[in-house]
Amino acid sequence: MPHTDAAAVALARDGDSEAFRALVERHSRAVFGLAQRMTGSPQDAEDVVQETFLRAYKQLGRFESRANFGTWVHRIAVNCTIDLIRSRANRETGHEPDDLEQFGAAIEPTDAMGTSPERLMLSSEVQQRVQAAMASLSRMERAAFTLRHFEGESIEEISRALGLKTNAAKHSVFRAVKKMRVALEPFVAVD
Amino acid sequence: MHLNEDDLVLHYYGEMDGDAETRAASHIAACGACHASYTRLQRVLAAVDAAPAPEPAPGFERIVWARLEPKLRRRRSWGSWLIASPAHLAWAATVLLLVGASFVAGRLYRGVDDRGAASAEQIRERILLVDLGDHLDRSQMILVEIASAGGDDSVDLTFERARAEQLVQDNRLYRQTAMTGVDPRITDLLDDLERVLVEVAAAPAEVPASDLNDVQRRIDARDLVFKLRVLSAELRERQKPGHKTTTM
Repeated sequence: MPHTDAAAVALARDGDSEAFRALVERHSRAVFGLAQRMTGSPQDAEDVVQETFLRAYKQLGRFESRANFGTWVHRIAVNCTIDLIRSRANRETGHEPDDLEQFGAAIEPTDAMGTSPERLMLSSEVQQRVQAAMASLSRMERAAFTLRHFEGESIEEISRALGLKTNAAKHSVFRAVKKMRVALEPFVAVD
Repeated sequence: MHLNEDDLVLHYYGEMDGDAETRAASHIAACGACHASYTRLQRVLAAVDAAPAPEPAPGFERIVWARLEPKLRRRRSWGSWLIASPAHLAWAATVLLLVGASFVAGRLYRGVDDRGAASAEQIRERILLVDLGDHLDRSQMILVEIASAGGDDSVDLTFERARAEQLVQDNRLYRQTAMTGVDPRITDLLDDLERVLVEVAAAPAEVPASDLNDVQRRIDARDLVFKLRVLSAELRERQKPGHKTTTM
């Protein structure tokens, strides 16, 4: 198996399928993580992984050998996920903020969690609540929030990518952050 | 003037324009209430950052490659020919459909005769229904075998793997040929079915019971056996004489 991505890409361009397999095995997990964050669905994330590496394979000839393959395939994955989300824009699911208010009130933080920020941030309960809060977002809220918070894209870029007006993209991010606050603020007290 | 929650979010992400950004930063530094609110926001988003990214199941990379590799192989052998002409793709799909028809022409001929002058489209649809129904029945059998296997530390899947490999190829054929006007339930079901069949086909000959449990859970979670049974029964219903054939 080629040691570096650059070596694997060079071999894959010449038709070495095992070299491309090495690239898939190295980067598919990260692509899955990104896609599931954005879509909230493991099945959709698997489809995005397939489509991402198919596109990467088709475009190998255009990949600049000095560039970072992981970054390049990450960008393809973002685009594939956006395409999937836009194609399913009519099937929105998610909870209204009121639902999450009730959800947030149902579980009280315990003394065992302590007040140290590091302990709070690493606690498994906080992680579960993050995942639950992400799952409660609508498809657009999740996509917009993931692109803003994890991918560092501007509101303007998000609105173009998702086919939304700027204000709609902005409010998707606002609603997502509000839901995160409702779910997590009781657990991240200010000292 | 105090900053509201949305302003704090814009400030956090650096989305305010130059002057507004400066004013916001100054206000947060000077106002206790806004400072506390902003700190809470930072901690919430830090907790989001600290949560690990979603992880797929063990063996994920192997399954990804098992699904991907045949598509790359097809692309390498057909690629430029298909890309050069979408009409060639449509022709290839028609050929695949007619190949399926040649295996069941004998079974259908009597039915066509009884009904008189059935159109070519109706004949093609009935052929596809028969083939697809058979495929669903065979897939159902293997899923039932997988779902009921286990009890020992490891399970021998040699036979099931070989059958699953063939079913994967057939499943891809039906996904390609069930094109325009297809019932979305059929394409969704074939997609779900293929994922499970690929897992079985890519599994080693001897599988630890714990790995088999994952596949069994996936079969259960999607109600695959039930859906295959229901759809197969519906397809048999559509094949009956006198049933009005419409585009699937």
